[in-house]
Amino acid sequence: MSTATANRAIKARAKASPDRIQTDVVNAQAIVDQQLVDNALHHVAEHDELTLETLPDGDISVPLTFYLEHKAALHERESQVAVQVAADEDVADIADHLNDIQMIVLPFVAQIDGRSYSLAYLLRTRYGFKGQLRAIGYVRLDQLGFLSRVGFDAFELHEGDDYQAALKAFLEFSEVYQPSADEGRLIFARRRVTH
Amino acid sequence: MYQYDAVDKTIVNERVAQFRDQVERHLRGELSAADLQHLRLRNGLYMQIHAHMLRVSIPYGMINSDQMRTLAHIARKYDKGYGHFTTRQNIQYNWPNLKDVPDILHDLAEVEMHAMQTSGNCIRNISSDQYAGVAPDEIIDPRPYCEIIRQWSTLHPEFYWLPRKFKIAVTGATNDRAAVQFHDIGLEVVRKDGDQNAEVGFRVYVGGGMGRTPVIGKVIKEFLARDDILSYCEAILRVYNLHGRRDNKYKARIKILVNAFGIDKFRDEVEAEWAHIKDSQLKLHEVDFDAMAKFFPLPSYEDLAQGDERVEKWRQLDSRFKAWVDNNTVAHKQSGYRIVNISLKEHSVAPGDITDTQMEAVADIAEQYSFAEIRSTHEQNLVLADVREQDLLEVWKALDAVNLATANIGSVNDMICCPGLDFCSLANASSISVAKQINERFDNDDELYDIGEVKLKMSGCMNACGHHHVGHIGILGVDKKGEEWYQLTVGGDATNSAELGTRLGPAIAKDNVSDAIGDILDVYRDQRSDDERLLDTFRRIGIEPFKERVYAEQA
Repeated sequence: MSTATANRAIKARAKASPDRIQTDVVNAQAIVDQQLVDNALHHVAEHDELTLETLPDGDISVPLTFYLEHKAALHERESQVAVQVAADEDVADIADHLNDIQMIVLPFVAQIDGRSYSLAYLLRTRYGFKGQLRAIGYVRLDQLGFLSRVGFDAFELHEGDDYQAALKAFLEFSEVYQPSADEGRLIFARRRVTH
Repeated sequence: MYQYDAVDKTIVNERVAQFRDQVERHLRGELSAADLQHLRLRNGLYMQIHAHMLRVSIPYGMINSDQMRTLAHIARKYDKGYGHFTTRQNIQYNWPNLKDVPDILHDLAEVEMHAMQTSGNCIRNISSDQYAGVAPDEIIDPRPYCEIIRQWSTLHPEFYWLPRKFKIAVTGATNDRAAVQFHDIGLEVVRKDGDQNAEVGFRVYVGGGMGRTPVIGKVIKEFLARDDILSYCEAILRVYNLHGRRDNKYKARIKILVNAFGIDKFRDEVEAEWAHIKDSQLKLHEVDFDAMAKFFPLPSYEDLAQGDERVEKWRQLDSRFKAWVDNNTVAHKQSGYRIVNISLKEHSVAPGDITDTQMEAVADIAEQYSFAEIRSTHEQNLVLADVREQDLLEVWKALDAVNLATANIGSVNDMICCPGLDFCSLANASSISVAKQINERFDNDDELYDIGEVKLKMSGCMNACGHHHVGHIGILGVDKKGEEWYQLTVGGDATNSAELGTRLGPAIAKDNVSDAIGDILDVYRDQRSDDERLLDTFRRIGIEPFKERVYAEQA
């Protein structure tokens, strides 16, 4: 998505920020728990005309503000409703709802954005979110290893990227120096045993 | 010094394999130049004016003889026979081919070296005092703490895509030689309440830095127990990662965030975050420090008396040797030993540059006379930290044989200088040619020694890689309608009494820079009292007398 398009879109919509997805996203595949799976989840972009009635059928993810406004109605849908948390949003705003949510989607809009790494870490370790954390947008092979360390377990890749090739990213490092949201332990704690 | 265990080796080797795969995917057309850019940057590989540039990490400036030989081998095999030491104590090569870089990294890994996080918006090489462990004014050796922070920050998954680069420095001495107040995080190792039997911890500075907006770091914590160093750094990094600006790269450093919040609000944010993780597994234990300290033991010093008769006699007989001893060596905490500085500021050579044969000579000299260890300094020189006084003459001769005995440490010719317009794609003006002009202007050693300590620092653009803001004399290259001009400052200071330089006046034409420096130093020599340095005289008399002289001459 080009920056020019994003900027035009912002002027048109008061609520949107460049950190939200600007148009709906649907990918045919996803990586979940390091396995390639078919995917039909429809990520709905935030815009002025977005109402409960205009939502597509089937499994969807919706922007956090929309979810908070329409939570009860959304949970009446028979299909899955996931919640998008953009890089400029505060995970504290979703904290009270985590028991009702099976999946949180963190979009990387134009490029890699380090904030979502901290948001994922906080959702897993501070708020104890046990559901699925899914990265969408600018998600590339070379980020998957670290994304999974901070708590992501599902990925929809950047348009055109090779899903099969990307699976090897999880095998690149067999050792780590520091804890995060994964099983990684502080290197000095591990060495205490051997010294 | 630190030696890798199986975990360190695995991580470095796997990083080399990962980078090799990234380069191969690029060369096969599967990864665009734009997509490769952020990946190669995080492994020290830049694209400059003429070619790629590879920056190799030298953690806190410690390097052994075998590693130095590998650096020489890389210069010879993959580059044009030289390397360039940087102000982060790293070394960079200006001419590698992209396809060779994975092989270079492989050769580095063989001697426990790498290029991880030497560029890109992540936590950079940890820098420190080049005299760590040997300085008489040292309270605590900072190197074990540097290594602990290095490991924690290496490939940290959460802090690999920060708003901007992030630099951490650690000092453990009374006199700060690591410029900790000009770092994103500056750590001073201290004992609680200054009591020499009390527990060890850190005074923590945050939000210092140079660049376009120079800022002196502010104290965020007066005393942090050493057990908590990683959790506290992590809390600072998390607050920065979430709240630092990403919309404008010139406003993205942590110093801008600290100023926007104010230090008190920033501290509150950090303390609130820290409260959650303080007692997590990031807490360090006594045994962790003990284990790390074992990598930095006191060398097996001999029991020697202070001074050496033969060396003293030669010092009186040979004025060149005398100048070298007086300028390039400093006191050691161990009786009978000296710290030897090797100047990489030989006339007509770009500051910080060193050839492959010189590197090998330094490796040999270190092996024979200084426990096979060398340090690189943020002032772009090298240090042999543990030389017996009785060996000084031999060391001097061996260095002199390869043109590494230039006796100008601390003088106006010992300048910090970025690569400038000759190599760097960011630069507005050249630095190296101005350095040469200054070298030529001050070619009289007696004049140089009479002037005494002057920290001259030069940057070819406002990004300030040459630290001009904190030079006793600072020079900043600017572009005026396609011409190179130079903005001078006086009175900057990177040490404990940190100050930013005061602007002298309008920029000066390139050909007049060394004359302007001459004018400043003339004013100093006219006005100094007793043993004042330029910096002291400036602090007493202010900028006006310097301004009057320089612009009267220029008019």
